[in-house]
Amino acid sequence: MQMVMRHRRPEATRFAAGVFCALAGIAALIALVSPAPAGAEEANRLAFLEPEHAEIYGNVELEGTLFFQPPQFDDQRRDDVSMAIEPTLLLEWNDGDTVFTFTPFTRFDSQDDHRTHFDIRDMKIEQVSGDWAVTFGVDREFWGRTEAVHLVDIVNQTDLVEGIDGEEKLGQPLLKLSRLTGIGEFSAYYFPYFRKRTLPGPEGRLRLPLPYATERAEFETGAEEWTPAFAGRYTGVFGDVDLGLHGYWGLSRDPSFRVSRGRLLPVYSRIAQAGIDAQYTFGATLWKGEAILRQGQRNASFERELYVAATGGLEHTLYQIGGTDADLGLLLEGAYDSRGDEALTAFDNEVVGGLRLTLNDTQDTAVLLTGAVDVTDGSASVRLEAERRLTPHITAAVEAQGFFNTADDFVNRGFADDSFVRLKIKYYF
Amino acid sequence: MPPDASHHAPDAPPANGGRALAARAAGFIVANRWLWVLSTLALIAFSAARIDQIWPPDPSARIFFAPENPDRQALDQFEARFAKDDNLMMVVVPEGGDVFTPETLAAIGALTEASWQLPLVRRVDSLTNFQHTYAEGDELIVRDLVPDPGSVTPAEAEAARAVALDRIELLDRMVSADGAVTQVLVRFMLPGADPQQEVPLIVAETREMLERVLAGHPGIEVRLTGSVMINNQFATSGKEDSANLLGPMFLVILVIVGLALRSVFATLAVFVVISLSAFAGLGALGWMGIPLNSVTVLAPLYIMTLAVASTVHILAAARQTMPETADRKEWMRRALTDHLGAIIVACVTTAIGFFSLNFSISPPFRQLGNIVGCGVLAALVLTLTLLPTLVTVLPIRRRTEPPATGVAMGRLGDWVVRRWRLLLPGMTVFAIICAGGITRIALEDDFLRYFDERYEFRQDTDFTEARLTGVNALEFALPAGEAQGINDPAYLREVEAFSAYMRGQPGVTSVATLTDTIARLNMDMHADDPAYHRLPENRDEASQYLFLYELSLGYGMDLTDQIDIDRSAMRVTVALAHVTTADMRAVTADAAAWLDANAPIIAAAWKESHPGLPQVTPTGVTHVFNIISHRDVRAMLTGTSVALVLISGVIMLALRDVRIGLISLVPNLLPAAMGFGLWGYGVGAVTLAIAVVIAGTLGIVVDDTVHFLSKYARGRRQGMSAEDAVRYAFRSVGMALLVTTIGLFGGFAVLAQSGFAVNGDLAKLTAITIVLALVADFLLLPALLIWLDKRSTTMTTRTAAVTAALVLVLAGAATLPALAETPEEKGLAIAEAADRRDLGWGSYTVEGEMVLRDSAGNESRRAFENFTYEREDPSLGDMGIIVFQRPRDIRGTGLLTHSNIEPQDDDQWLYLPAIKRVKRISSSNRTGKFVSSEFSYEDLGSQEVPDYTYRWLADEPCPTDAGLTCHVVESYPKNPKSGYSKRAAWIDTAEYRVQKIDFYNRRGDLEKTLTYAGYKEYKGQYWRPDFMRMVNHQTRKETDLVWSAYDFSAPLGESDFDQSRLPRLAR
Repeated sequence: MQMVMRHRRPEATRFAAGVFCALAGIAALIALVSPAPAGAEEANRLAFLEPEHAEIYGNVELEGTLFFQPPQFDDQRRDDVSMAIEPTLLLEWNDGDTVFTFTPFTRFDSQDDHRTHFDIRDMKIEQVSGDWAVTFGVDREFWGRTEAVHLVDIVNQTDLVEGIDGEEKLGQPLLKLSRLTGIGEFSAYYFPYFRKRTLPGPEGRLRLPLPYATERAEFETGAEEWTPAFAGRYTGVFGDVDLGLHGYWGLSRDPSFRVSRGRLLPVYSRIAQAGIDAQYTFGATLWKGEAILRQGQRNASFERELYVAATGGLEHTLYQIGGTDADLGLLLEGAYDSRGDEALTAFDNEVVGGLRLTLNDTQDTAVLLTGAVDVTDGSASVRLEAERRLTPHITAAVEAQGFFNTADDFVNRGFADDSFVRLKIKYYF
Repeated sequence: MPPDASHHAPDAPPANGGRALAARAAGFIVANRWLWVLSTLALIAFSAARIDQIWPPDPSARIFFAPENPDRQALDQFEARFAKDDNLMMVVVPEGGDVFTPETLAAIGALTEASWQLPLVRRVDSLTNFQHTYAEGDELIVRDLVPDPGSVTPAEAEAARAVALDRIELLDRMVSADGAVTQVLVRFMLPGADPQQEVPLIVAETREMLERVLAGHPGIEVRLTGSVMINNQFATSGKEDSANLLGPMFLVILVIVGLALRSVFATLAVFVVISLSAFAGLGALGWMGIPLNSVTVLAPLYIMTLAVASTVHILAAARQTMPETADRKEWMRRALTDHLGAIIVACVTTAIGFFSLNFSISPPFRQLGNIVGCGVLAALVLTLTLLPTLVTVLPIRRRTEPPATGVAMGRLGDWVVRRWRLLLPGMTVFAIICAGGITRIALEDDFLRYFDERYEFRQDTDFTEARLTGVNALEFALPAGEAQGINDPAYLREVEAFSAYMRGQPGVTSVATLTDTIARLNMDMHADDPAYHRLPENRDEASQYLFLYELSLGYGMDLTDQIDIDRSAMRVTVALAHVTTADMRAVTADAAAWLDANAPIIAAAWKESHPGLPQVTPTGVTHVFNIISHRDVRAMLTGTSVALVLISGVIMLALRDVRIGLISLVPNLLPAAMGFGLWGYGVGAVTLAIAVVIAGTLGIVVDDTVHFLSKYARGRRQGMSAEDAVRYAFRSVGMALLVTTIGLFGGFAVLAQSGFAVNGDLAKLTAITIVLALVADFLLLPALLIWLDKRSTTMTTRTAAVTAALVLVLAGAATLPALAETPEEKGLAIAEAADRRDLGWGSYTVEGEMVLRDSAGNESRRAFENFTYEREDPSLGDMGIIVFQRPRDIRGTGLLTHSNIEPQDDDQWLYLPAIKRVKRISSSNRTGKFVSSEFSYEDLGSQEVPDYTYRWLADEPCPTDAGLTCHVVESYPKNPKSGYSKRAAWIDTAEYRVQKIDFYNRRGDLEKTLTYAGYKEYKGQYWRPDFMRMVNHQTRKETDLVWSAYDFSAPLGESDFDQSRLPRLAR
């Protein structure tokens, strides 16, 4: 085991460099083998590489987080200020059939070194030829239907330090080949490299009671991060029903944890997983469901287990409430995990209800209020997300979460005093 | 040598491949006689397999209403809300002319009592069990008007008279004003499980009951009418028609065929063929599993009449060969060789004409078309197989003298050829004068008077309408706009005023409304003080009175058929007597206008609950019949056009001559126009039969034309001059045409004797048309042919075609508009024209910018790229993707829409780039604002023609450019979820571009106006605007939509619009 602390480039940077070199190599190869027109000058040989469309856009974010209570653990610091930038370079060829996207992401955090991080969200070449499509590079892709718990979404690793809702993801190196047919799209994925979950450092809040040892992550495969993974996915639409099926074989995105010298070592095991996700759109009501069957994941007691997890519910929208332009969405979802308390997620037997208010004003004001209750131990949390555009280029967002009646178990206890309010100002360019 | 032997000559031009084929087919047919006997047996067995399905006939007036008929749907809804009333009116006529005698009241009591025992009875109303209310002190008394009819004293009878003649609920409804006639009204709840049995059972039991009861009460006469009797009449008239007309029909055919062929066995052969054809047609109906009805019951007679023509052609041809040879097979070989093609064409075109009746909105006519179509095809097969077999097997006597008929026809041909210069203009003028009568045709459907005076039902109904009350009823369901709303005094006053208004309308005999009862109750509750004979002043009183009243009502006397379940609507039944359909349409329109002007609550509630139907419309079987002809004429215009195109195509194909095919249109279409015209001069009023006449007769009259033209064309091909070819055609088929026309006329003349006006009118019009067709074929067509062929040295086929088409268009223009082009049709036609001009663009991309402006002038902008893909299947809407570019925070957000035809919601997916998620979203929010602009989702969704109904209002200068003329078309959304009651669009006549749209909200107020500007033409035919401005008049906000960089050449495919590809386009 490489226990020695030595200087390492951030693994994302190293990986990005690798992918970039590969892409550049392929481009150079194509340029060299492609026959130049007779009499053409050497410079014209690369003329086809000149994009038809090039664009840079993105955003800069300033964020402040206030916690209502002092931290529970000694290393943790109370409040937090941070800044992030996410630009995108977009290049297009062949009427948009060939696209190159590059989206790096960096955050600087005043308190948590682990939250100060760099990632390549996207760096990919996409090529579409009729019913066929190929993606090569680093990409993000969402699978699933439900709002609160994302069971089938397995392509990307969660960028947990960005937000505990798990919506932010790390870029995933992949090669994807898909074909569109009359009944839907079939895709095959090859993931050559594995991304470890980002976890808060000892100074960070919203973590388990023991600090994580992210850099000492263990893999139950010899190839460690280079363990290849494969997946297949089908999505199709049948009238009012959208259906997705998938299979995955490779390292689990969800770490199990092993305690070593008072720290939590993430352990990634090899899993096989099959899942289904579906949505039925019935007028203003959306019925959603996801379910997975997973084998190989270690539970809280560090034992391998074959388990089933499912989540489902509905979203109903009341349009133009009270004669105004505002819409009110009602959310109700439940989550189930056959492992119960042994599950490493907070969502073992949970019910989530929510209200989504969309004002439909020119500032696109939207508010999402959700409450989650664990039906077995009664712990609850309430979360509020609100967003509004201030100027054509600046938006403001508020995110707040309160934890109540927190269960005194290992997974939940760490959050007991971490109710917070977070304000984000984003400038888009 | 027979005068027409030339066409039998073996030296026929070798180029005539069709004839060689016919000769081969004829040889095959004659050689395999026993095969045809076997196949005929198989056909009989096949037809018989399901024949039991068609009997007994369906006894219902409602067979004429298809389930998709919107008036029928309104009627069904009404009956679901209130009650489906099938009533039997037993009109009691006492000998002494006075109802209020102890004897008569006893008889009414006994009838009332006995009627409760009838099967499926729901309720019995009569003078004796009328729920009389009065006050006794503080108490409300509700009791039967004559509590013990068996023992009434003269004084009690007088008391009953005083009450009955004073109550508006009874007067002119249950009892006549002179007290001479009354009725016992029995209402039935027909489950409809076995309609063929229910009505006959009720009528049979009623008759038996009447006999029993009246035996004990001499001096009482009872007449029967009402919807049960109407339905019964529909069934029995069908049976009677088929029984009464079959004999005369056989006789007519026997005489005509016998005279023409002068052979018993030939006539027998004809009878075998036509009877089997009719049986095969009925067999087809059996396989469809549909029982006969009053219209289709005559289908076998149609088939027989039509089948005679083909058989006569074969046998007449055989007669011409008889002098030459005794070989029966040779008779048939020659007859088939000569006539095979013409008979196939004739039968196929006839079948096409009848099959086109499937376009009718009235199921009986569809069924008639299918039975006759199948029967005629069966006749074709049998004429070509079984008939030759019979001729060769039966001992038909050979005649050696040449048929005399050819000579007479030859003379007629000579005369026509000599006089053609006179005949052509003369016949043209005659045709135009005849067709001019079309304007005098009025569509009249009075289903009570579909049956003529020979029927007891008609006599009883006429008596009832003259002496007691109207049998026709318009049913108004007047909405109050909210549950329990009928207790609102303001609403009740509107209903009362409406009832009073209707009582004053011409033809109205009585109006049944609950407000009369409520007013009476108000008086009773105030100690019978006449000052209180008015509606209560407040809600609670009204609701209490009704509650008390309902509690006190006798068995089976509840109010559920007067008030709907949540008490949000009240029923007003208006009975009319001796009125025409036109009168009733006028009454309906007046009622709607009155309600609009004087009943704000009802009018508003109606508009709320009936989007797309701005005015209060009654329902009821009467009302549906009132407008069925108008609907069917429109539906059959399509059917007739389709039949015309198909039939003309068959003729051109058969004659292999486009020019002659076009010429044939004149004698094919003209007879129907002339027939209608003559009908207009002579009779004027016509039932819903009119709609199907053209299509039906087209196929028949075509036969004559085909036979004549095929002989003429052969003559010309053999080098004859036009005159000689006409003479030759007269000689060879003239007699057969005359005989078949006489036969058809005779057959239809028999059918015209039907006492059922729908069948009678259809047969009469058909008979007239067939005779006129022969006149046109003999006198106009030859003249036309000679004239056109004379000019052929200078006139190309093309100009001849143009001339013929012109004549056709003129004839069509004279006939069709009289029956067509209502504002609704014109509106639809404009919408379709606009849609048609915008077909085939494939796909395009365009950049859009929205500028949102509030009433203070503050602006906010959104820029997006739009991708649109046209799906070729018209049952699917277009597909589109909108990808936002600005504001930057929603950059890359994509909205994919697969449009569907209303009322199905569109399919929509939203792509959120921040979390890379494609999410299917609900699209039921039509009225919501798109990105907070003044455009709703509904405004921006793809607009498909069938999503709306239309009405053309006017043509006027365009509001955007006075140099252009615009059609102004209102469209009413079919989807009740639409945010609009209607839209008014200005569409220019030059290129069918929308210039302006006014949007009216559900309350009917003008809400928004959309104007278009900067139209440019792309790909040489597709017009797109640069600029659209939507102004909201209510909020004074506005949104500009600026379009730029239209690109119709972008390489977009259907796969780009799959939800899985959305992340790729949205970037």
